[in-house]
Formats: sequence, C-alpha cells, structure tokens
Amino acid sequence: MKPIMLHGHERSITQIKYNREGDLIYSCAKDSQPNVWYSLNGERLGTFDGHNGAVWCIDVDWNTTKVLTGAADNTCKLWDAQTGQCVSTLETKTAVRSCGFSFSANYIMLTTDKTMGHPCEIFIFDVRDGGQLLSGDPLQKVSIPISDSKITSAIWAGLDENILTGHENGELRQYEMKTGDMLNTSKGHNKQINDIQPSKDGMFFITASKDFTAKLFDMETLEPLKTYKTERPVNSASISPLFDHVVLGGGQEAMSVTTTSTRIGKFDARFFHEIFEEEYGSVKGHFGPINSLSFHPDGKSYSSGGEDGYVRVHYFDQTYLDFRFEY
Amino acid sequence: MPESTMSKGKSWAEQVDEGDDGVLSGVLPPNTEDYDEKKGLKKITEYKYNEEGKIVKTVKTYKTETIKVSQSIAKRKTWKKFGAAERDPPGPNPSNTILSEEIFMQFVNNTDQSKPEEEEDPLGKLKNQKIVQCRICKGDHWTTKCPYKDTLAPLQEKLAEDQRNTVEPVPAAAGASAGAKTVGGKYVPPSMRDGASKGRGESMASQRKDEAATIRVTNLSEDTRESDLQELFRPFGPISRIYLAKDKVTGQSKGFAFINFHRREDASRAIAGVSGFGYDHLILNVEWAKPSGQQ
Repeated sequence: MKPIMLHGHERSITQIKYNREGDLIYSCAKDSQPNVWYSLNGERLGTFDGHNGAVWCIDVDWNTTKVLTGAADNTCKLWDAQTGQCVSTLETKTAVRSCGFSFSANYIMLTTDKTMGHPCEIFIFDVRDGGQLLSGDPLQKVSIPISDSKITSAIWAGLDENILTGHENGELRQYEMKTGDMLNTSKGHNKQINDIQPSKDGMFFITASKDFTAKLFDMETLEPLKTYKTERPVNSASISPLFDHVVLGGGQEAMSVTTTSTRIGKFDARFFHEIFEEEYGSVKGHFGPINSLSFHPDGKSYSSGGEDGYVRVHYFDQTYLDFRFEY
Repeated sequence: MPESTMSKGKSWAEQVDEGDDGVLSGVLPPNTEDYDEKKGLKKITEYKYNEEGKIVKTVKTYKTETIKVSQSIAKRKTWKKFGAAERDPPGPNPSNTILSEEIFMQFVNNTDQSKPEEEEDPLGKLKNQKIVQCRICKGDHWTTKCPYKDTLAPLQEKLAEDQRNTVEPVPAAAGASAGAKTVGGKYVPPSMRDGASKGRGESMASQRKDEAATIRVTNLSEDTRESDLQELFRPFGPISRIYLAKDKVTGQSKGFAFINFHRREDASRAIAGVSGFGYDHLILNVEWAKPSGQQ
C-alpha cells in the first residue's frame, strides 16, 4: 500500500476521526487549527480557525452537518461542517479533554480537566435548545470530586442514555445522562486510559491504556472480555468493522523518545486478532508514537495520526483483505 | 478525482536545452492539458522559470477514477474549501498531501516458526561433524577434490615458504630473549614474555587488541557467502568472527566484509596473501580495518 501523508498540522496529532460514511477525516493537533480531509485522495477540504490552544478532541455528528472541538484554551466550539464557520462557543473553567455528539446528535457532552483548583466535570448540552448553548448553562452537569481521578477519555454509550468515561487511574465508569448518577464502575486498567472507541454496533468498546495493554469490554456490564498485550504504552485502539481485528497504536512516551536508545519498529501500528488476542501483523511509517488511529467505517482502510504531526491514510492491500487467521 | 499524482522533472540536459530555447524566444510556451478519456489519464504540462531564469517543464500525470458513492458523499464532494485551504486549487495540494512510498503490512506468524527449527536441529549437528577435512581449505571434502586446489594450494605453499625464510634467521642472530620465545615448556617470567614491552594495562586493552586483528575485505562479488570467506581465510589462522555486509532486503552481499582473527600475525599474513588475489571475477582488496567507534 502507498499511504497518503496528510501534512496540515505543525504539532503532534491528538485525535483523528472519520465521519459516519467515511468520506471525510477530521484531525486535530496540539496546534490550534483542526483540519478536515477527503479520505479518498487526501485533499484538504478546510480548517476550522478560531481556537487559541491545543485542540484535544474532535467529533462530527452522524450526518456530517456539525463538528465539535474541545481545546486547551478552555473552550468547546461547535462548527458548521460545510462552511467551517464557528456556530457557538462554550466556555469552560479548564481545558476540554474530550467531547462527543450523541447518537442522534441532539446532545453533546464534554469533559474538562482537573486543574487550578477546579474539579473534573462532565457537561451535557441539548444542541436543539439554542438558549443552553448561548448561556453555557448545561442540561446536566456531573462534577467529579477533586480527590478523585480525572477523566482522560469519554464516549457516549447505549443510544443517548449513558456516558462512558475512562480515568487517569485506569478506572471505567458509566454515568446516566439524565440524572448524572454513576451506574457502574470497573477497574479496567492499572494506568491512565488514553482512548476509548466503540465497536460498529456499539456492543463492545476497546480501551487503550498506558499500562501497555488494550482491552475489549462489554458496553453494558463493563466486563473485560479480551486483553491485547504489548511492550509499550498504547495510545489508541480501534476495532475493525469488517473483520475480527483490532489495531493498536502507541510507542514510547514522546518525552522519553530522545533519552532512550533508538529502537526502530516501536512506532508501528499493530494488528491483533480480536478473539485470539494474538498479534498477526504490523504497519510501519510514523517517526514517533501513534497518538490516534481509526478504522474506516468500511474496514478497508485505516488512518493514524502521530506525534510526528502527520496523519497517514492507509488503504489495505488485497493481501490483508485475503488474510485469514489460521487456527 | 485525481487519485495519484506523479510529477516528473526532466533531466538537466533537456532543461538546459529548453531553457536556451526559452531565452531565445523570450516567451513561455503555453500550459497544456491532455485528457485521455479511454485510459482515464490526464496529463498537465506546465512551464515556468526557475531561480536561474531557465525554463522548467513539469509534466504531471493524473489518473482519473470514477467511483460510485452515495448521494450525501457526492454532495460533500462539491463543498467549497474553507479556512486555510480556501485558496487551494481543486485536487490535492502537494504541500499538504504527500503520497509516501510503498510499504507493506508485515505479517507475524508465531505458531508455525517454532516447530521446524527443533526438527532441523539433530540434522544440523550431524552436518557440523566433520568426517573428511580438506588440507587446503579445511572444507568438508577430500583434498584432491578441493575446488580451490588450483588457486589456494600454490598460495599456501608460497606462504609456508615465506614463513620458513623469516623464522630461520631469528635464532641465529638473536640471543637469550629470542631463545625464551621459541623454547616451550620452560618458565618465562611475565616481564620476559611476548608483549611485555607493550607496557601495563593490557587487560584493559584486550578488547582493542581483538579489534586490532580485524581485516577489511572489499571488492567482493555479490554472490559471496560467509562460508566462502571462511574457506578463503581459514588457512591463515583461526578466525573468531566473520561479518559480511548484506543487503537487508535482497540478502545479497554488499561487497565488503570484516574478518576477525585470533592473532594479529595471522591477520597480517592474510593481508599479504589475499590482497590483490583474484576471486570470482574481481580482484580482492584486503587491508586493516579501521577501529570502530572512538576510544
């Protein structure tokens, strides 16, 4: 395969996401300009200008009309997907760490960092109610006590009903969206959870953790089902919608890359069989750890964004599509 | 839409020629666009001046593919570019979108590899046991059937002769110290032993000493294997290590190798003996290896 390198960011990529139909890739980085690209040929459609700090998270709604970004400048912005104009800005007290549209795109959620004496919080807004966005007065607010571990990753779960959060201490929690009550909790990992991605049907989700593992969980019960072990921190993991495969991306922490010996091949995307938990392949390319990766919704390509500031779009060769795991 | 781009610069000679033409006429030829509908290839030829004022011709070939997509995707394809990409022309901007080189997914096969190795092991042990040894190259065959009978045997004889010539005059000329060297079994104080004159701290230098007996062989043919080098250099003395530089992908030799001898004398004899020696179709060049790394 000949990967397409997307060079629209000057700093390391923080998150990438495909839209539902997979024709667009949204990418955000530690610079203040999120980008959107056509996945087919790597053509840049545009940039969303207006943030003043590192953009930590990006999401797009199901019919690609609105885009949501959360940044370290203590704002979360809602954009028009077609024109790239900022529709509304939500001010927060601390940096926005993760954000997302609900399945119906009627609600948005965002989580903030625990810094400067402010607690880590989850906000839920009803996008249909313009007053909420204007006043910044949320539909639901969950405050996590300062003594507790902060949220590092969060997604919507169970058809607009729950929010699933991954914490710095490796814990997983389920919050009910309407009441803000904690429904379920599970000690999923020993260290920080860097990324959570649901499977195509939303029955499972995969977590990527600093404790060198990625795990597959049941969405309803938070029961760990499978563990994929590596020998380095995992920054992102994605479940193939086409095969029983998962892909893991990671590598040494960016801060330790220059101080440890150069071991090439630590920054490749690694493919595991979803059920047998066995690694069967890898793809090289990035010059630093992979920070975010995602399968195309059709499963025939995937993209990865790295610490090197590049997004690489990989269209699988026929050899991958023909590959059958022997057992 | 253009799926892959390929820009080809012309060779410098052609550029110069065209540049001269351009200077003479003083006009840039018009940009042309060729579209071959059957093959779906679009060829865009552009002319522009480079920094030296010469005309550069750039030919870009695009492959056009038609892909059927759902209506919503087709609609999004017509969206106007915005933000920093607002002024980009249609199609990928080469400064943002780069087609990287071909890479392949590497498949790991954990289950199949371990078993065959174990099975091969006893066979491998048998192979190493030598029943017959060649006197010329110490290979696993009779001396008369040695493939290097014609090339190496005369060489070795000459070397042996040289050695006799150099060894003989020593006892005649030298006194006690030389006697101590040649007579075995008798106690020799450390201060009188070989290399005592080199001074203290030899244990520290042992690693360096190891490197000192290393020779570099260059101008090897591509088909050279480690076993060939083994056969070629074993007659000179015991070898501790052979490193043959090979291409990672093709596994072919890169044309040079390092040979570590146990003794420096053997290494120097190997240099004297094999340097300029015709091997395959090439003439070998053998010299001392430069110490690797800085001391």
